Amino acid sequence: MQQQVTLTIDGSTIRAARGTSVLEAALGYGICIPHLCHVPGLKDTGACRLCIVENVQNGRSRVTTSCTLTVQEGMVIRTNTENIKRLRRNIAELIVAEAPNSRAVQDMAVRCGVREVRYPFRRENCIQCGRCVRYCTEMWRANALGFIGRGKDRKVDFAFGNRRDICKKCQSCVIYCPMSVTPCGGPMKPGEEKLCGKCESVELMAENAYGACVHCELGKGFQCSRHAM
Amino acid sequence: MATANLDSVLEGRRSQPSQLIEVLQDIQDLYGYVSEDAMEQVAGGLGIPLMEVYRVACFYKAFSLQPRGKNVITVCTGTACHVRGSDLLIDQVRGQLQIEPGETTRDGLFTFECVNCLGACALGPIVVHNDAYNPHVTPGKLRKMIDKAEEEGKKEAAYGKTGKA
Repeated sequence: MQQQVTLTIDGSTIRAARGTSVLEAALGYGICIPHLCHVPGLKDTGACRLCIVENVQNGRSRVTTSCTLTVQEGMVIRTNTENIKRLRRNIAELIVAEAPNSRAVQDMAVRCGVREVRYPFRRENCIQCGRCVRYCTEMWRANALGFIGRGKDRKVDFAFGNRRDICKKCQSCVIYCPMSVTPCGGPMKPGEEKLCGKCESVELMAENAYGACVHCELGKGFQCSRHAM
Repeated sequence: MATANLDSVLEGRRSQPSQLIEVLQDIQDLYGYVSEDAMEQVAGGLGIPLMEVYRVACFYKAFSLQPRGKNVITVCTGTACHVRGSDLLIDQVRGQLQIEPGETTRDGLFTFECVNCLGACALGPIVVHNDAYNPHVTPGKLRKMIDKAEEEGKKEAAYGKTGKA
C-alpha cells in the first residue's frame, strides 16, 4: 500500500504519496507553482529555479526548489509570499533576458509578474533547462544529447558535436523545448526585444487567483504538466 | 598495437561504469590525449553511453581531446606568479612559438598551456616542462629551455630518419 503523508501548502492541508515532490503534490491539488523545467515522469533537477517555495521549519523558512523537495510528514510550504514572488520575478527576468525569442518563456515571465526586464538581452537560444537532455536520456534511452563543457561554455550537443547517428529521431527534444514556441509577433529583431504585453489579461487573472491553477492558456505555451496530464 | 594497449587498460574493468575516470586517466597517460576512437571503445567496454564518456572527458581539464605536443609547457598564472611576471613568460612563449595558450605547434613539438595555480607560490613564477617544475623562471631562461627542447626534437627527428634508412 502506498504510504501517505500530510503536509500544508499555503494553509491548506494536503495528502500526498510518500516520495513525490512538493511541486507534483501541489499541482495535483490545483495549486499552481510556476515551473518550466519540470516534465511529468522525468527526474527533476531544479534547473530553472522558477518553482521556488518557502519551506518553514521551526519558525524559520528556507527557500528551495519545490521540484527537488520530497514531501515529508508535517511539512509547511508557502508558495506565494512576498519574498518568493520577488525572487521568482527576478529569476523569470533573467531567463527572459537569456532567451527572449520564446513565447513559452515570455508567458512564463508575465505569469510570474514581470513587467519589464532590467537585464540586457543576451539572445541565446537555450536556457539550459535540460528538458531535451532528460527526455532523450530517461524516456527514450537514446543518450544522443547531453550537456557539454562547463560553466558559461556549457551547452547541449551531440557526442563529439557530430554523432547524429545515435539519435532515434523521436523529435522529443524539439517538442519539449520551450524555445520551439515562437512569440506571437514572430522572432524579435536585435535591439528591439521587449516583453510581450498581449497576455496581460491572463496576468491579472493569475494575480487575482494567486496560488490557484487557472488552467491558463499559458500552460499550453510552456507545456505545463497540468496540460500534459 | 594501439588497440592492444587500450585492451590492457580496459582489462579487468569491463562493465564497471564507476571505473570511467580511472580508465580515461590511464588513456590520457598512455597516449597523451583521449581520442574519439578511444572514447567509443571505452563506452563499449564499460557498457555506458558514448555521451556519458564524452561528457566526462569534456568536463575535466585533465583530459585533452586533441593530440598534444612532445613538450608540454605549462605556465602558472596564479596571483603570486602573475605578480612576479608570468605574463612576460606567456608573451615569451607566444613570440617564440607563435601559439596561443591551449594550442600545439604545427610540428607537434610543443603544447602551450596556462594553469591557474600550481600550489608552489613561493617558487613563482613557475613553468612546468613535461612534469619537471622549474622555479623562478625568467623570459631568458624560458627561451633557452624552449631552444634546447627544440634542438633535441630536431635531432631526434633526424636520427629517426637516418635510423630507418
